Amino acid sequence: MTACLRFAPMIGARPGELTDDELGALSEHLAACDACQARLADEKALSGMLAEALVTEANRRDFSTFSDEVLARIPAYSGEAAAALNVAGGRPARQGVLAPLLSWVRHHRLAATISALAPTLAAALLVLYLGQGSSPEPASIIVSAEGRGAMVLETSDGPVVLLGDPEPEGS
Amino acid sequence: MIGRRRFAASALAAALLTAAPSLAAPATIPVRVRVIKGSRRGPPAIDPKLADLRGQLGKLAYVRWDQVGEHNAQMDFGKPVTWPLPDGASLELTLVESRKETVTFDVRVAARRTHSRLTISKDQRIVHQVADEKDGEAYFATVRPWP
Repeated sequence: MTACLRFAPMIGARPGELTDDELGALSEHLAACDACQARLADEKALSGMLAEALVTEANRRDFSTFSDEVLARIPAYSGEAAAALNVAGGRPARQGVLAPLLSWVRHHRLAATISALAPTLAAALLVLYLGQGSSPEPASIIVSAEGRGAMVLETSDGPVVLLGDPEPEGS
Repeated sequence: MIGRRRFAASALAAALLTAAPSLAAPATIPVRVRVIKGSRRGPPAIDPKLADLRGQLGKLAYVRWDQVGEHNAQMDFGKPVTWPLPDGASLELTLVESRKETVTFDVRVAARRTHSRLTISKDQRIVHQVADEKDGEAYFATVRPWP
């Protein structure tokens, strides 16, 4: 029984935890002790059940976002990682092109903002300028014909001015 | 990396290039004046040289159109230019004003005691009767800036 008290804790030992001498002594004791053989059988059964339960529990969890969650908990890495890494695969996404650009934008926010707004502003001015040019101002037509009537036909190609018949002298 | 100074210079250059056409007003404007004759008689026909006036001439009662004279001039603002008309009268044209896309002309035919001030856009033409109708025929002048 004293020997059982010594060897019982060794029964659940993991590989590498016991020395060769301890392993030899444990084997000799197990060969002669039915009680410890029963303990070993229980331990094996329990280990198998525990491993199976852990695997089952692990399979129930979704680890697809595991790497993102871990990276998000690192303050210095969270911003760059979100932009540079492919979320689905965890692989670098266009790192060679986007990473330097994003880095430049992050460190030159004012210049980046102006760079983004300048073309928009230029385009707006261009549209405004061309818009003014493409919509001609309303035609201004003043016709003065002494002693006769005049008629103006306004067409899309321009005005047509027609002179009326002159009034008879003395009328 | 884009330097701020280089970027500012580029933006300024783009702004100047955009605004330059509107700031620079031309000192003179090329003008094309044609004298044409419209007839109520004869087979309907339009002189091929007047094809660009078809939209305007087609609205009139005259069925036959011929070009009888053409003048081109580089007109200065406020300086009248005079051309003779087939009936002995004269047509006086003055460039009054020009804006971005419009131009204003004074058309005067002293013999007819007519005076018109017409503002048209760059791509338009003036068709102006310059002589009374006689025997079913009448003379017109067309004015086109930037021909």
